[in-house]
Amino acid sequence: MKIALTGNPNSGKTTMYNALTGKNEHAGNWAGVSVDKKESIIKKKFTGGDEITAVDLPGAYSMSPFTSEESITTDFIHDEKPDVIINIVDATNLSRSLFFTTQLLELGIPVVVAVNKADLLEKQSAEIDLDLLSSSLLCPVVSTISTNASGLLKVVTTAVEIAGNQQITPFSQAEINLNNKDEVVASDKKRFAFVNSIVEKTQTRKVLTSEKTAQDKLDSVIAHKWLGIPIFAIVMWAVFSISQTHLGPFISEYLVGYIEGFGGWVGEQFAGSSVFLQSLLVEGIIGGVGAVVGFLPLVMVMYFLIALLEDCGYMARVAVVMDRFFKKVGLSGKSIIPMVIGTGCAIPGVMASRTIRNERERRTTAMLTPFMPCGAKLPVIALFAGVFFKDASWVGTLMYFAGIAFIILGALLTLKITGQKIKKSFFIIELPQYKMPSVKLAFISMLERAKSFIIKAGTIILLCNTVIMIMQSFDWSLNLVEQGAEKSSILASIAAPFAFIFIPLGFGVWQLAAAAITGFIAKENVVGTLAVVYGITNFINVEELSLVGGANEVAQVMGLSSVAALSYLFFNLFTPPCFAAIGAMNAEMKSKKWLIGGISLQLGTGYVAAFLVYQIGSLITTGAVGTGFVGGLIFVSIMVLIVLYLIKKANSANKEEYNLHSAEKATV
Amino acid sequence: MDLILIFIIAIILLVPTIYIIRAKKKGVKCIGCPSGGTCSSCTGCSSENCDD
Repeated sequence: MKIALTGNPNSGKTTMYNALTGKNEHAGNWAGVSVDKKESIIKKKFTGGDEITAVDLPGAYSMSPFTSEESITTDFIHDEKPDVIINIVDATNLSRSLFFTTQLLELGIPVVVAVNKADLLEKQSAEIDLDLLSSSLLCPVVSTISTNASGLLKVVTTAVEIAGNQQITPFSQAEINLNNKDEVVASDKKRFAFVNSIVEKTQTRKVLTSEKTAQDKLDSVIAHKWLGIPIFAIVMWAVFSISQTHLGPFISEYLVGYIEGFGGWVGEQFAGSSVFLQSLLVEGIIGGVGAVVGFLPLVMVMYFLIALLEDCGYMARVAVVMDRFFKKVGLSGKSIIPMVIGTGCAIPGVMASRTIRNERERRTTAMLTPFMPCGAKLPVIALFAGVFFKDASWVGTLMYFAGIAFIILGALLTLKITGQKIKKSFFIIELPQYKMPSVKLAFISMLERAKSFIIKAGTIILLCNTVIMIMQSFDWSLNLVEQGAEKSSILASIAAPFAFIFIPLGFGVWQLAAAAITGFIAKENVVGTLAVVYGITNFINVEELSLVGGANEVAQVMGLSSVAALSYLFFNLFTPPCFAAIGAMNAEMKSKKWLIGGISLQLGTGYVAAFLVYQIGSLITTGAVGTGFVGGLIFVSIMVLIVLYLIKKANSANKEEYNLHSAEKATV
Repeated sequence: MDLILIFIIAIILLVPTIYIIRAKKKGVKCIGCPSGGTCSSCTGCSSENCDD
């Protein structure tokens, strides 16, 4: 038996799906988080032992889809014909939700309506007469709260009871020509009138929607066009501050202590064995993986805080605040949703861009979303912020806002290169109710991500570090390289040409170049590779319960100035994140031309940003430009000339098209 | 002693290699996704292959 969970976006479908199946799919308190269908077996405690599959479908407003994720929902219902539909209805927005419900009831498939978020309805001092609603819709209606699984047993039991029945519809739409706009509008108006008549008789509200509530007053500050930006900056600073300078390193201390102790113990056990094998195991495998895992608590704390922010409803307000800026560069507030999701991982962020209808906007969003510092980049940020800067929290915040700035610049550049004019786009988002975020859900989400982080460290990072260690220990004749002569190693010879390109960026040494290259496999590799090539197994100061700070041993070993370190950070964070994210970009853009353009833009942005940071920074701090300035300037100038050429080409094409249209008009 | 060490290292490398191969065969696209494997792309359950 198959049960489909459908409803409007942000009605609580994924939260209900997680509660029913025990899964931990990403759910957020805003529209557009789920963009694909997921299915799993419902827990036995809800089904009494029967095997029932729940299918979580992306949110849809109507059976006539506008976006690709809405099509997934309508196609599934039409083609796969589930045995029962559980229609999740947002109790706080009944009239909007029931439009879709009435369309589902026409399909003949038995429907159970789950009036969800009953707790929020109570807070609004509103009530819904469920019996009257049930008799009006001619289907069973159950009150539910997805977040605490209240009413879910009743929903599933009711669904099992009505499976196989023929659904009777309370409202039938007459045959209309879907190509005739007037007919469609008239039909929708009739449906809305029917829905409103039901809402009127079943719902009682003590506070009218036209009245200003406490939430509206709060929104006038938080989502304010000017105040919203500093508030957002403070919130993100707090997130980075707590995760990277306070709670995160405090927890890391214990973990790093254990890893170091374990590495030392293993080294003692094999004291008399081959030096290479010893260092491969202790420095390459345990040290390299340990260096990355040492940052796990920092990443976990950040994920926990971001989950709380999403759940309380704040991130939806950020989309409203950013809409104004995004509109000016040809994007809309809808693009901020994939970008916020991209803070966790670029891949689901890129995938979330499919909620955008406009093709150019969608492709641009998929291309620019990886600029947001994802969780994999956090260990890199934390390492450099801790090693080279006394106050680690401002570095993370700077990277976050630099990411947003590059998105805006990138969007503007894309607009110019594609030669398209800014079209007036409207961004409509339903602001979710503010609510106390669920600590339990945030904790579960954090644990899931921690598990994945450990899996990645124990698989990809471990294998990469081993390969790096072997390549660093042997030369091309497969002879062991003497200590201090690593320049003749396989790794050094491969990384050296790249190091040459990086001289104008301030980090033209093969070790840093090798770390930057392995970062394209997974960003955490930057930390792992640095640990292996420099033989550093601990980036966190165990005694001071903090990240190792300013002018320390680690900084001395790397031999970087603070400016060069910041430049290295910019390069690693704003070049393509990893191969998997590039794959996701390819899938969403569906155009090789756009993909190549996107990768080039990311590589170019990373290089130019790092060049500017290093050269301008050197000028300010030392009074002279950094090494390789002329070479770098030539390289950057070539990039700028290519961009200018592409813009000119687009303008010429536009002009030709305009002339052609004018000539056609004149002929007519 | 060296042989024991080689054996241990071989096991340490073999386990993640087998894990990756098995995960790839199952259709997992990104091993150890920082998103907790919650996105359908990571679990290999895209709209296309979920229908299979």
